[in-house]
Amino acid sequence: MRDTRRARLTLGVLLAVALILITVDHRAGDNHVLGPVRDFAGAVFGKVERVGAAVTRPITGFVGMLRDAPSAQRAIADLRKENARLRDEVSAQRLDKGRAEKLDRMLGLAGLGRYRIVPAQVVARRTVAGFEDTVEIDAGTGDGIRPDMTVLSDAGLVGRVVQTGPAGSTVALLSDPALSAGARLEGGNELGVVSGLGEAGGGGNLIRFRLLDSTVPIGVGRRIVSFGSQQSKPYVPGVPIGVVERVDNTPGEVTRTAYARPFTDFSALDVVGVVVAAPKRDPRDAVLPAKPPPPKPPREDQRRGDDGRGQGRTSLEAEWGLGDRGRGGGDESRATTERQAREGRPEAAPERRGRHGTQAVDGEQYAQEPRAREQDAQEPRAREQDAQEPHAQEAPAAHERPAAVEPRNAPRQHDGAAADDARGGRN
Amino acid sequence: MARNLLAALLLFVALVLQVSVVNRLLFSWAPDLVLLTVAALATRRGPVPGAVIGFCGGLAYDLLPPSNHTLGQYALVLCALGYVAGRVGERVPLLAVAVCALVAPGMLAGLGALIGAPGVTWPVLATAWPRAAICNLVAAPLVLWAVKVTHGGHRRRAGGGELVPSYRRGTA
Repeated sequence: MRDTRRARLTLGVLLAVALILITVDHRAGDNHVLGPVRDFAGAVFGKVERVGAAVTRPITGFVGMLRDAPSAQRAIADLRKENARLRDEVSAQRLDKGRAEKLDRMLGLAGLGRYRIVPAQVVARRTVAGFEDTVEIDAGTGDGIRPDMTVLSDAGLVGRVVQTGPAGSTVALLSDPALSAGARLEGGNELGVVSGLGEAGGGGNLIRFRLLDSTVPIGVGRRIVSFGSQQSKPYVPGVPIGVVERVDNTPGEVTRTAYARPFTDFSALDVVGVVVAAPKRDPRDAVLPAKPPPPKPPREDQRRGDDGRGQGRTSLEAEWGLGDRGRGGGDESRATTERQAREGRPEAAPERRGRHGTQAVDGEQYAQEPRAREQDAQEPRAREQDAQEPHAQEAPAAHERPAAVEPRNAPRQHDGAAADDARGGRN
Repeated sequence: MARNLLAALLLFVALVLQVSVVNRLLFSWAPDLVLLTVAALATRRGPVPGAVIGFCGGLAYDLLPPSNHTLGQYALVLCALGYVAGRVGERVPLLAVAVCALVAPGMLAGLGALIGAPGVTWPVLATAWPRAAICNLVAAPLVLWAVKVTHGGHRRRAGGGELVPSYRRGTA
C-alpha cells in the first residue's frame, strides 16, 4: 500500500477535499454554506466539552492554583490586610452599636426620672486598690458640667463628678470607698447610706448599705434608689443604685448593714450621663428597672423635705441621742457620734477624703453634742443644715483645711457660723 | 476496525482535552495535542491511514466549537502531515512526530496568510511559531508514548509485516 497509486489517489482526494472545503468556506464568507455542519459539530462537541470541563475541573483548578501561586501569595496578603481592616470596622461598628444601645437606655432612664443629662464617654480609669476608684469622662465645663453632679449610666447610679476640666471631668465611682450617698429602700422611706467598699467588696463590686433604723427589716432582693441631696447636689433623687444581696445581722448596733449589688457594672463603664439638671419632682421608685418587684405597700407621697420625713428622722435621731447618752462620754462617745455623723446624713454623702474631709465630720460632731441634750424640734433643721454644709460651701472648705489639725473647739465655732450661713442662704 | 475506532477515540479524547483542559490551563503555551496525536497515530498506521486520520482529525478540529478560522485548514495541514508522518515514522517515529510538531504551526499560519486570515504577520509569526514549536516538542514524547500504550504493538498491516520477526511471520 506504500506509495501505490491508490495511496497517492487517497491522499490527493483528501487534500483536494480539504482545499475545496477551505475554498467554499472562505468564499462563502458570511453566507455560511457549511453552517449546518458547523452547527451539528458545535452541538456534539459542545456537549462533550461541557462534560469534559466538568470532569477535569478539579485538575483545572489545581493547575490554575499552581499557576496563580505567586500572585496568590500577594493576593492572600492583601486579603488578610483587608480582612483585618474589615474586622476592625465590624468590631468598631459593634462597639458603636453597643454604645448607642447604652446611650439609648441611659436616655430612657433619664427620661423616666426627668433628669437632664449630658452624655459622656469614659475615656480613662484609675483604680488604686482599696483607695480610689475614679474614671475620666470626655465632657467638661464646656459641656456644662460642674463638680458635684450626679453621674449615671444606663443601669443606675455611677458616682459623682469631683473635678472638672474644660473638656474632661473626673468621676468618683460609687465603688470608691471614699464615696457615700444617701439612699432609700425601694417603696418606703427607710433611709440609709450607701458607700463603696473598694477592694473590701471582695471583688464582687458590692457596696455597703447602712440602714439608719436598725429595726427596719431589710429583705434580700430589695432595691435601693438614691435619696437625693440638698439642691440635688451632688446626688439627684430617684436614681437606681442596686439590689440588696446580703444582710449582716448586727444586734446592738445602731445601724443595720446590708451589702448591695449595684445596678451599674463598674468594671464595664462606657457611656455615662451627667445629670446637669435635677427633676423638679422626686421620681421616687419610678426609675427602677421593671423587674418583678416585691409588693410595695401603699404610701402617701412623701417628697423630699416633707414634714413626714422630718418627723421620721426626728424620731430616728432621738433614738441615737439616747444611745449616745447611754454610752457616756469620752472617746467611745466620740466614735459613736462620728459614725452617726457619717451615717446620719443621707443627703450629705460625706467624703472623708479630700477637700471637705475630716473637718466637716468633726464639725458635725461638735455641732451635734449640744443638740443631743436639747433634742427634738431643733434637730431636723440642724440636721439638714449639717447635711448641706459640706456641699453648700465648697469655697470655705478650701480655707478650712488647716482647721482640721486645730483643737476641737475652733472648728465648732466655725461650723456654727457656717451652719448659720447655710441657713441664712436657704431661708 | 477496532483500531479505527481506537484511533477515532484517541482523536476525540485529544480534541476534548485540547479545548477543555490544555488550552484553558496553559493559554498561549499550550501544545497542539490533536496534531501530535495525528502524527503519532500516523507513525503507527502508515501514510494512507495517517492521511485519513489527519483529514478527519483536522476536520473535527476545524469544527470544534470555539473556532473562528476557515473550515478545512487543519484538515488540509493534518492530512498532509499525517501522510508524511506515515511515510517517515515507519523507522523513526519520534523524529517524524517532532518534524510535524515543528512544521505544523508554520504551515497553519502560512495557510491562514494565504487565505487572508487577519492577524498573521511576520512579527506575530516570529514569536508564535517558536513558542508553539517548543511546546509541541515538549509534549511530543508524551503523546507518542500515550499512543503507543493505547494503540498496542507496532503496525502490522501497513508495512506488510516487514518488521515482524521471521519466526512470527506466519502467525501474525
